[in-house]
Amino acid sequence: MEKGETPKLSVSEFVASLNQTLEYAYPIIEIEGEVASFKVNQQKFIFFDLKDEGASVGCFMTVWQLRVPVEDGMKVIVRATPKITPWGKFSLTVQSIRPSGEGSLKKSFELLKAKLEKEGLFDEARKRRLPTIPSHIGVISSTQAAGYADFIKILDNRFGGVHVDVAHVQVQGESAPDQMIRAIEHFNTMTDMPEVLVIIRGGGSADDLAAFNDERLVRAIAASRIPTLVGVGHEVDVTLADLAADVRAATPSNAAQIVVPDRQELLQRLVHQRIRVLSSVENVVEHTGRDVQDLRVRMVRSWDERVHTTTQRLSYAADKLVAYDPRRVLARGYAILTGNVKAGETITIERYNDMIEAEVRNVTAK
Amino acid sequence: MSQQNNQPSIEAELAELDGMVAWFEGESFTLEEAMQHYEKAEALAKRIETRLAELKNEVTVLKKKFDQAE
Repeated sequence: MEKGETPKLSVSEFVASLNQTLEYAYPIIEIEGEVASFKVNQQKFIFFDLKDEGASVGCFMTVWQLRVPVEDGMKVIVRATPKITPWGKFSLTVQSIRPSGEGSLKKSFELLKAKLEKEGLFDEARKRRLPTIPSHIGVISSTQAAGYADFIKILDNRFGGVHVDVAHVQVQGESAPDQMIRAIEHFNTMTDMPEVLVIIRGGGSADDLAAFNDERLVRAIAASRIPTLVGVGHEVDVTLADLAADVRAATPSNAAQIVVPDRQELLQRLVHQRIRVLSSVENVVEHTGRDVQDLRVRMVRSWDERVHTTTQRLSYAADKLVAYDPRRVLARGYAILTGNVKAGETITIERYNDMIEAEVRNVTAK
Repeated sequence: MSQQNNQPSIEAELAELDGMVAWFEGESFTLEEAMQHYEKAEALAKRIETRLAELKNEVTVLKKKFDQAE
């Protein structure tokens, strides 16, 4: 084309040229606006308008790219490339969309929460118990984050002998959910899988923590074969990742407290066990001593009873003997007569105090 | 992973100690055997104490990058 000459292009060339210019000027751009006329076609394609008080642009994206629930009226930030369609219509081809502002974040959170809750992703029945004393832990966090440093510090203070594999990922921003998902997948496909997965991040604004409300990340946490422990932000921050985890920690420090026992508590447990053993032995010794004493008392009592019974029998026999003593009869005035009782014969009469020899004069029958 | 030299885990040793303590509180307890059991339990408790005091965590940051899909 000569200098100063007016360009003359076909329609297709013109649209292609415009697209080239747009691509050069805005290879990628983030635009903030309010969603209007949001609709999904054939469960594959999403169309909506992004508008503010002065303008409106059409947007297009695939369902696959939508990571958070969106509805009309929500304020969002779209990451997109501008394009002119072959039909001359200007639109934004959206790569990602995220809620913007507290109201939209909250709305999106509530919509996704309700959806996943309905699917049973947060059901208590799905929750698994974490190992009491794990020997291998997988940690997903940014190694530069303060929350990670707190976690390792408390982990070291509380317990030892744990092998900790750390997947360094972004825990904030657009690529954070995908990085965390890849880390979860990595740990879940390891030959020597960790016994527990700990996903941690320190405090931040609602926007900073938004990655933990990403639908695909939440689903990956719920689907993990390895039990999960999520500790994100502060006590008051509850993300959907927290709800999908098997166990929720209030903070990264709390995650360390949950995932390993305190060695001081275990040492204290050993002290208690020693006390229990000694107390058991003491009890048995005391009981055995008491049993021996009881036996001794029973033995003495039995001996006494036997002696008493024998004494009684003896006394009874003695009484009988006394009763049969002929001298007692003599004492009452009777006499014992011995000899042949015939007239002219001599007989002996024994009385209590003397013996009499007498002659029988006469014997008469009564 | 951390059970080097096929050493039982702390958890396994604690469970073993629990079992030993249970013997002292159970029906099969006899004074004749108590001393032998006590010596074993005491030795195990001391071993656990030593391990608890000496064990260090081993932290490995994976070299794998997660910023790009494979």
